[in-house]
Amino acid sequence: MSPITEVALVTGRELRKSFRSTKGVLLAVLSIAGGAGLAMLFAWLDRVRRENLPPEIDWRAAQEQFFSRWYAPETGKALASCPYSLWMMLVATLWLAPWLVALMAFDAVSGEMQHRTVCFWTIRVQRGSYMIGKCLGAWTAVLAVMLGMNLVVWTATAFVGHWPAADVVQWGARFFAVTLPISAAWCGIATLVGSQFKTPILSLLFICATFFCLWLVRVSAGFAETRWLAYAYPNAFDGLLLSPNLADVARGVVSTGLTAVATASAAALVFQRKDV
Amino acid sequence: MSNAIATAPPADIAVRVRKLAKRFGSKTAVEDLSFDIATGAAFGLIGPNGAGKTTTFSMLAGYLRPTAGKIDVLGFAPTAVDQLRSRIGVLPQDALLPASDGVGEFLVHMARLQNLPKNEALAGARKALAEVGGQDWWKQRCGSLSHGMAKRVALAQALLGGPQLLLLDEPTAGLDPRVAYDLRRIIRERKGRSTIVISSHNLHELEELCDAAAILDRGRLVACASMSELTAANEEIRILVAAGTRRGTEPGRVPVRALRDLPGVKSAELDEERLEIVVYFERAQADAETVIGQVLRALLGNQVRISGVTKGRGLERRVMEV
Repeated sequence: MSPITEVALVTGRELRKSFRSTKGVLLAVLSIAGGAGLAMLFAWLDRVRRENLPPEIDWRAAQEQFFSRWYAPETGKALASCPYSLWMMLVATLWLAPWLVALMAFDAVSGEMQHRTVCFWTIRVQRGSYMIGKCLGAWTAVLAVMLGMNLVVWTATAFVGHWPAADVVQWGARFFAVTLPISAAWCGIATLVGSQFKTPILSLLFICATFFCLWLVRVSAGFAETRWLAYAYPNAFDGLLLSPNLADVARGVVSTGLTAVATASAAALVFQRKDV
Repeated sequence: MSNAIATAPPADIAVRVRKLAKRFGSKTAVEDLSFDIATGAAFGLIGPNGAGKTTTFSMLAGYLRPTAGKIDVLGFAPTAVDQLRSRIGVLPQDALLPASDGVGEFLVHMARLQNLPKNEALAGARKALAEVGGQDWWKQRCGSLSHGMAKRVALAQALLGGPQLLLLDEPTAGLDPRVAYDLRRIIRERKGRSTIVISSHNLHELEELCDAAAILDRGRLVACASMSELTAANEEIRILVAAGTRRGTEPGRVPVRALRDLPGVKSAELDEERLEIVVYFERAQADAETVIGQVLRALLGNQVRISGVTKGRGLERRVMEV
């Protein structure tokens, strides 16, 4: 059996398991319902803002100015005409991503180690495939929740925010694409940290602690003006991934992808040598 | 790197263990363990709590990595998943089934991981579940099964695909007598089709099921032989007599001298406290059944009241001795 088939089978089961458990359903419903509420509020505020701007102020120019403070000037320019509410949702999604990953992935391995359920797998699949499958399972589950949330947000932006559907889909897909590599990096880190523990609650605690430490590194990097250090925090790659410059986007994808691959591989390597 | 062992054991050896050791920090769980398990045999791992049975079992299944020594399972290291997939079936002692999975879904997934196409996996899962008498549980959630049902489902996953080697850790622990009996029947039916390794506390069960066994104590091997050698079934018989029976030649008494004079018999003793006659015989001259026949004839001829007859001293007594 090829490792790809092994990984696909483990991933498929993990995905089914995620959306059948109370935890998975609750997280999906809360994320989508919360996202829907926020999306309507943002879409309405955005519409009101645009409708009430004085005629001498162009909303695109205002947005460009605003985004240029967040990102590089050329990225600000590229985002000038995007639906503001969609961008707000991107920011919210990126903040939500580590939490969602932590809650979805913390017991994927530790739970099966705690109850030794993993013993049924280790005689049938390579341990590396098992771990990569678990990581991919968590990632696809998180992406499915995020996609659900995004679909609600797109609908709200089109109907409440009065944006043309084509613009919403185009910007929405682009913003969603930004969350793909970033959430993959979070999943890799969560799998690496979470799989070191046989108790799910410890796994959750240490995943959250690690994420918090990475966030502190980013904040410290801002104060110390060491920009490169900020990239220890996967969400920091949003600027590169939103850039109109393809080389920047590639750097962002490769960096987050490398984080995901390196951490998932490290988790697989450690598990390979572990007693279960 | 190949997982095949450079000096592979002969085909009639299913499992070969050499100088095996496992240490957890400063604690030694298993030390200098060596034994072979013949292909097609039912082999027992015996020992008290802390003897190293489960540690040894876990190393055979590839769950634990040995600190030292070597294990060949069907000619490969136990961690050689690609080579051993679907050739070994394992029933771990305390592994819980995934609670949210359906029984059928779980078994099909396990069969798929054994490289079976979807249709064959489905058929194999149904067959294995039927073999353990659980055909009606297909749609039940694993988390809703009783302990006995879960044990049977776990056994079904071990039987998937008809493995050459079955590793069973405490297969009847915690089960009610009826379910335990059923499980023993299933294992007995499997004998001859697979090499079976059973780790258990239940000595009567092992004596009934196994052809050979290794007795462990404090991580070391203290005996390893065929069941008849371990229980001395080829060398002695034991006859229980009614209360109040004494030695002597009068009717109703045990004619010990006459028993000693029987062909093939080396010695005979009556333990008046245990009400047990122990007859040792020369296995080259007579088999146990012949000696039993002669001894019973002599005893019944003297009107001795007999309560029971056993070959050998029983595994339990043997384990207590070592």
